[in-house]
Amino acid sequence: MRLLKIKDRHMWTFFVLPGTILLVLVLGFPAFQSILYSIYPEGGGSSYTFNNYSILFNDSVFRQIFGNTVLFVILSVASHLLLGLGVALILNREIFAKPLFRLIALLPWVVPDVVAGIIWRWMFDPVYGAFNDLLIKVGLISTHVQWLSNPKLALLSVIFVNLWRGFPFVMLILLAGLQSIPKVFYEAGAIDGASRWQLFARITLPSLKKMLAVALALDIVWEVRRFGLIQTMTQGGPGNITEVLSTYIYKQYFQFFRFEYASAVAVVMTIALLMVSLPYIWMISQEE
Amino acid sequence: MKWFRMSIWVVFCVGLFIGFSAYGNAQQKVTLRFSDWHLAEAPWDKTLADAMALFEQRNPNIKVALEPVSYKDKETKYTVETAAGKGPDIFHLHAFSLPMFFDKGFAKDLTPFIEKEGGAKFLEPWYPLCINMMKYKGKIHAMPGDYMSMVLIYNTELFKAAGLDPKKPPKTWEEFLEYNIKLTKPPERWGVAVLGAKDPGFELRFSPFLWSFGGDYLTPDNKKSALNTPEAKEAFKYFIELFTKYKVMPPGVSTMNAQDVRTQLAHRKIAWEIGSGWSAPIINSINPELKAFDVLAAAPLPYKKKKVTTIWLSSWVMNPNTKHPKEAWQLLKFITSKEMELNWFVKNRVTSSRKDVSEKAPEILNDKFASVIASQLPYGKVVPQIPQWPEIMDAFTTAVQEAFTEMKTPEKALADAHERINGILARKK
Repeated sequence: MRLLKIKDRHMWTFFVLPGTILLVLVLGFPAFQSILYSIYPEGGGSSYTFNNYSILFNDSVFRQIFGNTVLFVILSVASHLLLGLGVALILNREIFAKPLFRLIALLPWVVPDVVAGIIWRWMFDPVYGAFNDLLIKVGLISTHVQWLSNPKLALLSVIFVNLWRGFPFVMLILLAGLQSIPKVFYEAGAIDGASRWQLFARITLPSLKKMLAVALALDIVWEVRRFGLIQTMTQGGPGNITEVLSTYIYKQYFQFFRFEYASAVAVVMTIALLMVSLPYIWMISQEE
Repeated sequence: MKWFRMSIWVVFCVGLFIGFSAYGNAQQKVTLRFSDWHLAEAPWDKTLADAMALFEQRNPNIKVALEPVSYKDKETKYTVETAAGKGPDIFHLHAFSLPMFFDKGFAKDLTPFIEKEGGAKFLEPWYPLCINMMKYKGKIHAMPGDYMSMVLIYNTELFKAAGLDPKKPPKTWEEFLEYNIKLTKPPERWGVAVLGAKDPGFELRFSPFLWSFGGDYLTPDNKKSALNTPEAKEAFKYFIELFTKYKVMPPGVSTMNAQDVRTQLAHRKIAWEIGSGWSAPIINSINPELKAFDVLAAAPLPYKKKKVTTIWLSSWVMNPNTKHPKEAWQLLKFITSKEMELNWFVKNRVTSSRKDVSEKAPEILNDKFASVIASQLPYGKVVPQIPQWPEIMDAFTTAVQEAFTEMKTPEKALADAHERINGILARKK
């Protein structure tokens, strides 16, 4: 650097530049292309137009799918946080064979989305499925249930599988957070006569605030983009009950070849995602 | 003089270098990328691999790299790769996907190659309908492959067990329902399963219901939906009520794809399905204990007003990005040759788009499945060849699922699909 006569205070740019260029090429360029595509008229043409956006917002199916996505993300993220926190609290205690249980709890997260989707689709099969058999044997149901064909159950069934598949990540983050809380806080609380709930509400939860925000922000982003699980389990059916934005974009782009319209949906999804996740990113950066 | 001698040496060396390079290039093998969903499916994969080995043996300067793809993802893979200026040199497509590929310029014009081979005379062995489906703006952009009609594939043993004569399959949809009621004994067995998932195989199985009742998806000019006709409504209701009213289909039918249905037939959970030449080999590979080739039989599809069935046609496409068009044409010619088409039938029971194979080969005429399939080709009909077709089919399958799961009545579901399809067709392309 001395040879290039670069001042120390400017040296950081040298280290950041390669990564930035790579990011711009890999992420920025396709994003820019998508935005450009979204304002092209469908089927070709030279003038720019917002017609794709107009079609999209006037389409009742798109509105239904947007609603499905919101419901899917809220229920998935909430259930991930609840179960993840519960399991993290258990695994943070001194229990028998703790490392083994930690490993078991992490296993669903290791399974790829598509594999999980195919396995659960078979398990939910109303004729051969193991899930129905198991529930009948333990007496929870009396007849075979159509988990993925019943409009009232289809989305909940997919969310259930997504809960199984996604809670270990939240658990892992929160477990790391729990382990960083000094034990003296609890000891002091106990001396002051605090109940277990008070210890949890006044010490554990506030200490986990930052970790919860990170888990929440990352999980929201991932759940909005969740594709493989839904595509392999239901393909958005029955009807459009389990169709979400990611499967809809795939369908519009690759099955219907509506590149311009699919790009418009992708842009809307990205904007919605940024609106939800930016406050969390801002909050974390403020605390830093 | 010294300079002159030196120049001669330089020229000699350069000449030698160029000569050896050219020799080296001539000796270098051309590698063709060949992609087909059959490469990912038993029992077809072996037949294809053997065929490609034979091609390489006959064309020592060409190497074929095999690229399996799943049936469902083939359009996605080829679209992405071709749009990026890459992709396999030769790929296999469901013929009904061709209009979108043609429309986007994702298939090379084969007319110059065909002209060199003799033009119309070269194309004579193929069924004219198949050749017409390969055309875009008057030019041939693909070569036809498998050509089959949809028929009933049924388990003769289950027929006998239900007191039905396996030699007298149903002739009308009314009889079809009666047979199904007799064959259904839940939870052990159901009569028939028809896929209800959003699967490319759906239209192959459902269309004969619609057409034989006298209905159709679109008006003859393909400009509007024709799902509001009394015939279409009657056909749709009949189809849905097989599940909702008569309960002769197994539960979960709205999520079933073609492989799910075949698995149920292989394990005797259903007595029949709507299938074709591929059915028996696949069912046999799922459950060899069934002895599919002995136990299963084929029959023409029942009908209401007119005899009609869906045609299955596959096609071979040359990628416009290929760097080796001559060699790729060699491979295309080889795969679609009489020898290979017959070999494909002998090994896999799939009939050909070549008349000189499907109409003349004794192997086909004497086969209990192929003879029925070939006999139904004259009643064959194809779905509309328009770029909006996958979207129209998605809207229609959505209606089927909504009716199967009783989210909507059959009438309401069909009316909604009719409206949506009109919206798709009205959109400026």
